[in-house]
Amino acid sequence: MIELRNVSLKYGEREILKNVSLTIKDNTIKAILGPSGVGKSTILKLMLGLIKPNSGQVIVDGTDITCMKERSLYSIRRKMGMVFQGNALFDSLTISQNLGFFLRENLKLPEAEISRKVAEQIQFAGLEGYEDQLPESLSGGMRRRVAIGRALIFKPHMILFDEPTAGLDPVSSKKILSLISSLRQNNNLGAVIVTHIIDDVFYVADSVAVLYQGEIIFDDVTEKLHEAEHPFIRSILSDKILEL
Amino acid sequence: MGGKNEKSTFTRMKTELSKASAPHLTFFMPLLFIRSMEKKLVTQLKVFFLTMQDFFLFSLRAFMAFPKMIRYWRDVLDQATICGRDSIPIVLVSAISIGALLAIEVGNLLEDFGAKTMLGRSTALSVIRELGPLLMGLMLSARFGSRNGAELGAMQISEQIDALRAFGTDPIAKLVMPRLLAALIMFLPLTALSDFAGLQSAAYMAEHYHRIDPGIFWNAVYPRLAPKDFVVGFLKAPVFAMIITLVSCFNGFSARGGTAGVGRSTIKGIVVSSGLVLIANFYVSKIVLENM
Ligand SMILES: Nc1ncnc2c1ncn2[C@@H]1O[C@H](COP(=O)(O)OP(=O)(O)O)[C@@H](O)[C@H]1O
Ligand SMILES: [Mg+2]
Repeated sequence: MIELRNVSLKYGEREILKNVSLTIKDNTIKAILGPSGVGKSTILKLMLGLIKPNSGQVIVDGTDITCMKERSLYSIRRKMGMVFQGNALFDSLTISQNLGFFLRENLKLPEAEISRKVAEQIQFAGLEGYEDQLPESLSGGMRRRVAIGRALIFKPHMILFDEPTAGLDPVSSKKILSLISSLRQNNNLGAVIVTHIIDDVFYVADSVAVLYQGEIIFDDVTEKLHEAEHPFIRSILSDKILEL
Repeated sequence: MGGKNEKSTFTRMKTELSKASAPHLTFFMPLLFIRSMEKKLVTQLKVFFLTMQDFFLFSLRAFMAFPKMIRYWRDVLDQATICGRDSIPIVLVSAISIGALLAIEVGNLLEDFGAKTMLGRSTALSVIRELGPLLMGLMLSARFGSRNGAELGAMQISEQIDALRAFGTDPIAKLVMPRLLAALIMFLPLTALSDFAGLQSAAYMAEHYHRIDPGIFWNAVYPRLAPKDFVVGFLKAPVFAMIITLVSCFNGFSARGGTAGVGRSTIKGIVVSSGLVLIANFYVSKIVLENM
């Protein structure tokens, strides 16, 4: 479980998050919906302890990580897998090297064990035959699947997606979204999905929080979104466009 | 960013005043201008000192990561190849051309005094103490510094550095420490190479341009060189290595704002590290020569 309690964050003089509280339960898929630049990626980085809030607390599985040192954070972060917006694959490494990178870095496993785990992820992501290619030679959807495979390699129980469908064609988007919902069914995995596309929310999320001008203006099960009164939510429901 | 805000505050105040169309208020406008300049200066100073603090912590963490060199020996080796072996041509070219130029010009000058036999001594001193290490430093800041700035900047904006942290790897130990260590190791032989090439080309020019016998040239070089000449020259190598690597890596890590941001951070890395190399060159010479 991940909890944000009254979190506020400023970049310089600009207040990005104002008193944001959020709870993400295990084994559920939670979407965070909001226009670009509102601070959605920032929320994911807070959850991983990559940045510190100005006030408030971030709690992961009952541990307050707000003031934790970088070194003690490493083990907490491995409970969560992160899929970055631009995938953040290492572009000088092959696909299988990318998948095995953090196993080699952080766990003292025998090489055979690493190869086995990498092969497992290759198969899961449907990338057989692409093991020795560089990320740049793959399509957008494939690269996204490599990034998901990399995030799953430590067997996390929560996975964080930053705009999982951004920049993908509609078919690849659907594929990625069904992959996400199958993850929960087969592996009991919880997920946080940050997005500015409202279709994604209805497709996979159990519950949704809407972030608007630094505040959470809605936080409930997805179906209730249709009943929300807030003018911003009404406008995105009617034209489905979040660019403001 | 702060600068823009301040400017807009000033313009806003100005327009508000003129809207009020009270002529006596325009009297205060210079005052307002000074106030806004003052604020701007204060924010800039604040940003400067915060950046200095960040840079200091960054450097400290890079040095504290040295125990991990065994784990990242492969990265250290890669970086040593990049900043060492791959830089040999550029260092050779610059040292040879400056060595030759120096021999010609100084030789002409000494000829006027009838002291051409002193050419070996004067070129040896300037090459070993100053030009050898300085040229090496400037070339490496352009070659190694720009590479670090661009590579790490691109990694920063594509969130690869965040990804390292998110999966539990210290990016400073993985990316900066190997570069720093490689530079500290490789800059010494590169300085030696730069000195050697500079002197050889000076000797060549002495023989073929000024018609000085090589025996006389080298005789004026070797017996007169004192240990402190080498200390000055070779102490610069590790100093430049730290300046170039830390400044360029720090700027790469601070890159923000897309591809343009990578460009800015790369330029800043080169400009600042070259400037600091020139300044450090002066102070190392001054301090060592005064104290030895
Ligand atoms: N390191 C930073 N320094 C200053 N401003 C930042 C930084 N990172 C993000 N921002 C700003 O914070 C706002 C929110 O960023 P982000 O969380 O990436 O938005 P989103 O993911 O919702 O598009 C943006 O306006 C962005 O410009
Ligand atoms: Mg984002």
